[in-house]
Amino acid sequence: MKRSHLVAAAPLALATLVLAGCSGGSAGAGGGAAEPLTVWVMGDSSANFEELVAPFTEESDIAVEVVAIPWDAIDQKFTTAVASGNGPDVVQIGISKLRTFADSGALATLDESTLADYPNLASDNFISGVAGDATAIGGDVVSVPWVSDTRVLYYRTDILEENGITEPPATWDDLRTAAQTLAERGDGKYGYYIPQWDSSLPVVMTWDLGGEIVDGDGMIDFDTPEFREAVDLYTGFYADGSVPTNSDFDQTQGFTSGITPMLVSGPYLASAIEGAAPELEGKWGVAPIPSGADNISLLAGSNLGVWGSTDQKDDALELLNYLADPATQLTWYDLDSQLPTVTAALADASLTDDPLAEVYAAQLENSRILPLVPNWDGETGKALLDALNAIVLTGADPETALQGLYDATAETSVD
Amino acid sequence: MRTRSAPYLLIAPAMLLLIAFGVLPIMVAVVVSLTDMNLAGLGDWSRIEFIGVANYTQLFADPAFWQALWNTGIFAILGVPAVVVLSLIVALLLNRSQNRFFRALRSFYFLPAITAIVAISLVWGYLYNTQFGLFNYLLSLIGIPPVQWLSDPVMVKFSLVLVAVWRGTGLNIIIFLAALQSVPKEYLEAASLDGAGSMRTTVSVVIPLLRFAIFFVTITTIIAWLQFFDEPFVLTKGGPLGASTSVSLFLYQTGFSSSQFGYAAAGSVVLFVIIAVVTVIQLRGRKADVDY
Repeated sequence: MKRSHLVAAAPLALATLVLAGCSGGSAGAGGGAAEPLTVWVMGDSSANFEELVAPFTEESDIAVEVVAIPWDAIDQKFTTAVASGNGPDVVQIGISKLRTFADSGALATLDESTLADYPNLASDNFISGVAGDATAIGGDVVSVPWVSDTRVLYYRTDILEENGITEPPATWDDLRTAAQTLAERGDGKYGYYIPQWDSSLPVVMTWDLGGEIVDGDGMIDFDTPEFREAVDLYTGFYADGSVPTNSDFDQTQGFTSGITPMLVSGPYLASAIEGAAPELEGKWGVAPIPSGADNISLLAGSNLGVWGSTDQKDDALELLNYLADPATQLTWYDLDSQLPTVTAALADASLTDDPLAEVYAAQLENSRILPLVPNWDGETGKALLDALNAIVLTGADPETALQGLYDATAETSVD
Repeated sequence: MRTRSAPYLLIAPAMLLLIAFGVLPIMVAVVVSLTDMNLAGLGDWSRIEFIGVANYTQLFADPAFWQALWNTGIFAILGVPAVVVLSLIVALLLNRSQNRFFRALRSFYFLPAITAIVAISLVWGYLYNTQFGLFNYLLSLIGIPPVQWLSDPVMVKFSLVLVAVWRGTGLNIIIFLAALQSVPKEYLEAASLDGAGSMRTTVSVVIPLLRFAIFFVTITTIIAWLQFFDEPFVLTKGGPLGASTSVSLFLYQTGFSSSQFGYAAAGSVVLFVIIAVVTVIQLRGRKADVDY
């Protein structure tokens, strides 16, 4: 508890706004090419990105200033930037935030004619799930794909084999059975891990079971038999005692220590495991996400947008063009373990020869983005998690909890 | 004339700062709370609409807001007495001697108050961790099964209060110590001549003399706990299922994570009114200071 009082967040933001209003005009002054291009990247470190763009600066003479925004601070940082009008020139946008960012009106439109001079940015270069219209908001394209992320099944070969499971579970039913077997290893041991903060997992399960969460009119609709089936699957893991219930469970630690020998996660987990437990090499693997009617996984990742009021739009697009180059995308996978979005890079031998990347690339082809609702993280996804967590953690009545979810999301539309 | 304006001139800088950073934001919040301001409106003011008291109606029908109010009440009820009593006791003990060891001890107690909350949260997060935390390890040594410090809806409140009390006592101990230094020696000598033991002196002489300090500490502590924010923000993000969401955290989440500034402003006005009412009641309830 701090004595320097947080009277309330909103008035503070507004005070910033009022003050920013007074100081407006200083931004964008100058207008020479001497000013570096400011890029906001998400994460804790800007070092890798600086290394990535160093050749670009050398070649084009456009200096790039990289600012790393911690994931937790994105909303706040973006809000302040919109309020003050002092944004970066280029900004990385997580797909789940795309609609919020676009709705703010702060991003420049990047339609076909704008991008015509930048061959790498043509939408047919990218995987179809995020290219062009797939991530257009209200018909306007305000971003270009940057990195992709998909979820695959991680499993501990050694532990599974010790318990008589020779193949990674191929279906969700198999996974549930295997998780039960593994949970029987003893107290404090589990078979699978469900992150309580991951709102995409129940959606992925619904897709896999042949369902949709958006109806024909573009409205969010959870009231479907397939979603009910997904809820039964999701809550079933808890009912079986196959998953840990504490919210502070550490997934990397859980996996490396063998407490949870199976879990669904993205490519970043692989680098986390390699970093935390190099001695496990060869004792774990990745497999496509388990299937039901299909095995659709989540397509996440980030796009890049250009700030609407920037006076260096051409330089910004030049940078985007460089970043969408297949070679740059492959370098980025080496540097930061982030998957490319450019199909040519995904098909490159250096990537397909890597057994992990091969699985990711195959899964990417069968992945979909979450619906572009106004605020997935803060509203729709949160309502979904609240309902499911209430059922599994506090024993809330499923019907009541799900009815609450249907009511909370009834008005939500992707358009 | 010159003498008349002097006091106003002297308080003017403080008043200006207070108006700019205290009164103005509250007034802006009141205005914003009557609009549907969101991120889009922030970028383009023409998209803001005046919607009257709709935010307030929605707020009072919002179970999440009631849960936050309820949580904040529980935090304050647990935390305020704990902080005041604990700091007073520690201050009385620290005041027993002026030697070097006790002076070092004072800085030690003050340490949590000046340590960055991020560092604190990191350390406490590890202490509380269910898998590899120290607390559960210590419990396991005496055969007690692991406790879900931050994952159980009831336990989480105590866990957060413990961190906040630990952090909150430092500053209050210093305030009490300062007040203790100003207790006139004559009274203590008189008490000892009358044959009062140290316990009796403390209860009958020292504590009554500390009345103003106790009042001050209580009032600031209550205000601080009604604005309880840092611990749940960094340790639990308000979870599990909102069980540790305080009103301030609720405001932060609706304001910054959901970009509903109008709605968050309405909540902040409500919080402001609550704090004002609680403070006024305390000021009224306090009898005029008796001069010893």
